Amino acid sequence: MSTAHDAHHDDHGHGHHGSRFIQHHYDDAQHQFDAGKLGIWIFLAQEVLFFSALFVAYILYRVHHGELYSYAHKYLDVKYGAINTAILIFSSLTAAWAVRCAQRNERAGLILCLATTIACAFGFLGIKYIEYSHKYHEQLLFGRYFDPCVSPGGNEFITKSNDCPGSKGSVHWDFGAGKATEGCYESSTIDQDPQTEGVQADCQVFETKVRIARGADGKETVTETSRKPIAERCHEWSLEEAEAEAEGGKQEAPEKFPCWKPSYQPAVCPDLTDATARAKGTAARPQVGILVEYGDHEERGEDIVIKAECKPAPKVTKELDILGTPEHPMQLGKPTIVKSHELTTHERHELEAMGPPPDHTNMFFTIYFAMTGLHGIHVFAGILVFMWLLIRALKGHFTPDYFGPIDYAALYWHIVDLIWIFLFPLLYLIH
Amino acid sequence: MATPAAKRIHGPVSEPDFMNVTKGIRSWLITLDHKRIGMMYLFGILISLLVGGAFALIVRTELFLPGKQLVAGDTYNQFFTLHGAVMVFLVIIPGIPAALGNIIMPIQLGAPDVAFPRLNLASFYLWVSGAILLVLTIPFGSLDTGWTLYTPYSLESKTPVLIAVCGVFLLGFSSIFTGLNFIVTIHKFRPQGMGWFQLPLNVWAIYATGIMQVLATPVLGITVLLLAVERFAHIGIFDPTLGGDPVLFQHFFWFYSHPAVYIMIIPGMGVISELISTFSRKPIFGYRFIAYSSISLALLSFLVWGHHMFVSGQSRLANMVFSALTFTVGIPSAIKVFNWVATLYKGDIRLKTPMLYALSFLLLFTIGGLTGLFLGILSVDVHLHDTYFVVAHFHYVMMGSTLVAFLGALHYWWPKFTGRMYPESLGKICAIGVFFGFNLTFLPQFVMGSRGMPRRYWDYDPHYQIYHQLSTVGAFVLGISIFISVMYLFASFKNGPKAPRNPWGGSSLEWQAPTPPTLYNFEKPPVLHELYNYDDIVEVEPDVWERITPTEVEPAVADEIAKKTGTATEHTAGATEADKAAAMIHAKAEEVKAESKLDESSRAKPLDPAKLPDEIEIAKKVAGAGELVPAEQKLAEAEAEAKAKAAEPAKEESDKEKK
Repeated sequence: MSTAHDAHHDDHGHGHHGSRFIQHHYDDAQHQFDAGKLGIWIFLAQEVLFFSALFVAYILYRVHHGELYSYAHKYLDVKYGAINTAILIFSSLTAAWAVRCAQRNERAGLILCLATTIACAFGFLGIKYIEYSHKYHEQLLFGRYFDPCVSPGGNEFITKSNDCPGSKGSVHWDFGAGKATEGCYESSTIDQDPQTEGVQADCQVFETKVRIARGADGKETVTETSRKPIAERCHEWSLEEAEAEAEGGKQEAPEKFPCWKPSYQPAVCPDLTDATARAKGTAARPQVGILVEYGDHEERGEDIVIKAECKPAPKVTKELDILGTPEHPMQLGKPTIVKSHELTTHERHELEAMGPPPDHTNMFFTIYFAMTGLHGIHVFAGILVFMWLLIRALKGHFTPDYFGPIDYAALYWHIVDLIWIFLFPLLYLIH
Repeated sequence: MATPAAKRIHGPVSEPDFMNVTKGIRSWLITLDHKRIGMMYLFGILISLLVGGAFALIVRTELFLPGKQLVAGDTYNQFFTLHGAVMVFLVIIPGIPAALGNIIMPIQLGAPDVAFPRLNLASFYLWVSGAILLVLTIPFGSLDTGWTLYTPYSLESKTPVLIAVCGVFLLGFSSIFTGLNFIVTIHKFRPQGMGWFQLPLNVWAIYATGIMQVLATPVLGITVLLLAVERFAHIGIFDPTLGGDPVLFQHFFWFYSHPAVYIMIIPGMGVISELISTFSRKPIFGYRFIAYSSISLALLSFLVWGHHMFVSGQSRLANMVFSALTFTVGIPSAIKVFNWVATLYKGDIRLKTPMLYALSFLLLFTIGGLTGLFLGILSVDVHLHDTYFVVAHFHYVMMGSTLVAFLGALHYWWPKFTGRMYPESLGKICAIGVFFGFNLTFLPQFVMGSRGMPRRYWDYDPHYQIYHQLSTVGAFVLGISIFISVMYLFASFKNGPKAPRNPWGGSSLEWQAPTPPTLYNFEKPPVLHELYNYDDIVEVEPDVWERITPTEVEPAVADEIAKKTGTATEHTAGATEADKAAAMIHAKAEEVKAESKLDESSRAKPLDPAKLPDEIEIAKKVAGAGELVPAEQKLAEAEAEAKAKAAEPAKEESDKEKK
């Protein structure tokens, strides 16, 4: 601290406080320990809240899309999760034991316990690496990068594989024939961004007038009375055009109404990622919704339904071409790596039972990677803390009078363990 | 007892003050002194205030007339976004707690420092890093999402959202660690005789703020972390095209940001309690109610986040519940306003600059709070959401209340921690300028908001023009007043007249500390008096107040107290050499006692009897001879004890041998 202060007190060794790590503004070692203890408990409270948002997201998606969880959790290996749980619980024990050793001035025991805790943490991260790399190879990833898919026939299961050289390929499991063929196939469209413009162009929008009749038994019957295509696609103003128009620039040609455009409103367009639609060959790229504009405002009467129908994708010669669009059919080249084996009964049952992934299965993996990833970062931070403690223990800083840092780090480690104890059943042990 | 006139001290007698105890920029940059850290925060916050204010003036200039004046479209979006982000994250949230709380709160407790000084310095550097990152967005395209960063636009925006949210993440942790530090300080560093209900209300407010900082800010942390990961890796949690939910972002964001606005206002309310009491020469009315209302606001603030989302498409049930809870959360604030007004009643009111700010606060906070209730009514909010009515409401509470309280607190404590007085008449002029300019800026905004003027628009229908023009003129009056305030404060730092120990007649402990305080805040241990009791504080000269009962103790008396309570060490506030010697001996005796209690197997090394007498010799020399009876008594006691204990190991070893 300041030099004026140092001028007053030269000896900091065993003069007044016993340990040189008792800070100057504390009355004694107990005062500092108590303050630190309160401080670390408050820190743990905020850690709980830090993870809370992810738990809330988990709950929301599980309540609203439970089928994703029932399907996708099977990709997780319970064995690895259980080993991780055991490792972390054991490391919590060694962390607590380290506190005891420090209190009893058992230097050798302290160093051993700290080192074991660090080793367990490394083991945990190692198993995490194994799990994550497996997911990467199977393309079972979060968000946009999730891409196992199902062929039209429903009896084939294609997963993408990152093991293929060059452009992405796929692994073809044909369990109809009882065979699994791993191959790398060339594909020009397997990664096509669903948000690109051209993909929406093959949509045809119809305004259908229906009559809804309520029968005597309370059942509703819906009959189509007329069907009119809405040919015009609404012009979508870019920001530059809007600014130019606002500044009195030249006007665009007037909009032809009614016109349609993509929107975020769901449920107007049939869900084109539906596997059944794909099976029928009527699939196109997923669309989010269609909005129809009638002049200055939108109208949706009760007896008008806006349907977006998509032109069926043209038949392609290779039956695996399920991702292509009319403009960019998927080309399959020669397989470069082919390995084949007969499906075992178990594999066949697994794959048949699993069936195609429900829509938005990527969300499960988003939650999985976000939660385990954040937890893993905290484990890694814990490793750094314990390594620092180990170095200090080797230098002999800890005495029965001063062992606060070990106590606080062990508390942190306990909460990291506790969070994993929640994550493990929530992700691995669900039905 | 010395006469009041003789006791008046303009500065510390024997020790240098905390600003002069060490010199050089390095001693400031790696300081652990809470006062220096607070002053560095204050400097950064005032600069950020001027920067955020400049952005605001650019926005208001653009809006002076319809059509493009200075900036339009995307650029306009960037200016209001940066104005919001800088003001919220760099000025208002840290404002009173980090700057003034750091400087003053430990002194109000009679403590030598906060609980974790190194963590305090880390908090400051986190603030600096976050500020740098926010400012760093500017050359890379700035930020145009609005300070609220709503998805899905914040996922698609071409601006460097990632840099900005990294800055926000660091600022969040700065806030969390500050709150943690203050909570532990208030629990563990209160002196004997200062129980919870003898705490100044400023300290209660900082405690309540700390609770919110610790519990709410991590949710902001994870929210912006998810936003950053979403932008970077497209995980899909907020992106509807990948199956995510953009409204989920709003829930997470407002779960923090609603308590955040209470993090902003509650320290302001704590300050106002101090100002109103001191400048009415009256104890605060309803002390316990104000204390309890701070805590209840802290807890209730977590329950009302949905009132920012009435039109986001959440369910009708959620809307009704949040609306009802929003009404409940207005009650503790109202209790405080009633209590402050009751304090003013029949008080001996002195209209100094801090009091002008406090009185402004009363009016502006009432307007801001009531208009918040209007917005809490569902049917009304449907019309007023995203209009200028909302803008006016939150400026009344964030600026008209919090910033005004900040300025009042700054002027109130400025003499204490700088040792200089600011120019009082200029202070009053600027306080009036702030009040007048503020109302001129924001009252028209209520009117045009209720008539439909949307917020965040750079262009508008001509029939709103008059309101915008009044508002812009007011903004410049306000801006100039604040700018002049900051300038004269900086000028008085070097050139102002020296301040007395207690220029306002305040009753809390900080007014007993030297002006400016010494390194460990007090020269001699302060004496606790009844809180907010002004009976024995008299104005001996204009603007110089003194207590006529003792505020400091003589060393011998301090010794007695220490012996009785057993709490003195050489670092107790204001300990003298005698105390330090006595404490050293006492501690040694304790150590000897403690070591003898240890398990034999875990004993590190046996007590060295040869060492003891030397240290006692040194202590004797330090203590001096003859004058200090208690010290010598302790010395004798400790010697006897030590010799007895030194005999014991020998005795125990011989016992062991016998076994």
